[in-house]
Amino acid sequence: MSIEAINEQLLRAIGAGVALVDPGSLEIRFHNETFSEWFDEVKTGARLSDLLEDLDLATLRQAIEENGRYDSEATLRRKRRRIVVALSFTRTELGLILLEGQNITRIRELETMIETYSAMVERNTREIEREKERVEKLLLSIMPRNVYEEYKAFGVVTPQSYDPVTVLSIELVDFDVKARDLSASVLVSEINDIFASFDRIGEQFNCERIKTVGDAYVAVCGLPEPIDNHAASAVGAAVRFIRYLSRRAESHDMSWQCRVGLASGPVIGSVVGVQRYVYDVFGPAVNIARSLRSLADPMQIVGGNLELDQIGDEVTILEEAPSFHDGAVPVRTCRLVST
Amino acid sequence: MSQTLYDKYGGFASVSRIVMEFYDRILDSESVGDYFENADMKRLIDHQTKFIAYLLGGPADYTGDRLEQLHAHLKIKGADFDEMKEILEGTLSDHGVEEADCAAVMAEVEARRGLIVNPG
Repeated sequence: MSIEAINEQLLRAIGAGVALVDPGSLEIRFHNETFSEWFDEVKTGARLSDLLEDLDLATLRQAIEENGRYDSEATLRRKRRRIVVALSFTRTELGLILLEGQNITRIRELETMIETYSAMVERNTREIEREKERVEKLLLSIMPRNVYEEYKAFGVVTPQSYDPVTVLSIELVDFDVKARDLSASVLVSEINDIFASFDRIGEQFNCERIKTVGDAYVAVCGLPEPIDNHAASAVGAAVRFIRYLSRRAESHDMSWQCRVGLASGPVIGSVVGVQRYVYDVFGPAVNIARSLRSLADPMQIVGGNLELDQIGDEVTILEEAPSFHDGAVPVRTCRLVST
Repeated sequence: MSQTLYDKYGGFASVSRIVMEFYDRILDSESVGDYFENADMKRLIDHQTKFIAYLLGGPADYTGDRLEQLHAHLKIKGADFDEMKEILEGTLSDHGVEEADCAAVMAEVEARRGLIVNPG
């Protein structure tokens, strides 16, 4: 077999589509099987423009003339499939143009699939991010940020001692009577409105809301960051809670009053629970504040172990009476009203 | 959290092969291939990637409404739906999906017959 014959056999056998094109007439002078299959059948002498209708012949001629080469892509129809072929035209030393074609259909199909998959994954990632933000917001609503950061990093929270702080314990007057008379939605809406306002006021006075239990609202001043004037800040917040309820009563159908118990002392803060997490504070100051609030008249504050010289002139001390004991330990109490 | 079939069978790396094979077999099918005669390749692959991922519990969000909307104009007959099911079952099986999992997927497909079949 001659070299020419071997070459021709090789050209016919390779997987790429190969054709030789006359540079003047742009007619096919030779093609292999693969090339022919893409077009059902190709006869020698067939015009390139008939086979590849979308091919820009003028650009092809110009590129071959100037650079000796031109690359393009064509989509061919074969039965139900669309075949995408990468075409490469090269001027040969024989004067003919060598047309090489690679079937890149599967590459394009896979690219499309990856595109779809990426879009799905990106969408899922965005949803997970949104969900993460919701969870973070929820956790931050039940625990201080530094506690949340510790929980996020280590999965557990080490109980932390805060000393001293001032605990605020507030209850609404005649809540049980109102709860009986009001519809559930009205009651919840009222409580929500009042406690949301307490949160806003508390924030201005460095008070961290710890929890609400029914009509009871518990916050701590001096946690998680210690502050020197925690008692004064707690009194400032308590005075404004009372003023807020007074003003609210003027513009709302329903009038609410509160009793406030304040107590300075140490507390321990920690997350408790396994399935249901609750951030809570424990210690004598918490119990004393709770007990003292029930000693307060409506719209009054009863404080325990407060540094009175810290308190400032926003409140008037009605009486100082060491009449309360936490177990066997006497508690210095005082009855305060907003000045 | 329980493992999805999508994860069990190797995630996108494996599912992509199932999608391509299913795509090829559907186009080659004498009975259902005609439905895809003029279908745009991009749309068809996009649709099948989402559909298979969705059936296997992967990252896809395909609602019943969307399925119905995509197939309404094709006027698909019940027998063709059966053929499509058979092709899918064969593809899954040939890619190593266990019989019980195959049956679970096919039950999911069957549950959507009403959204896809619409002889007009």
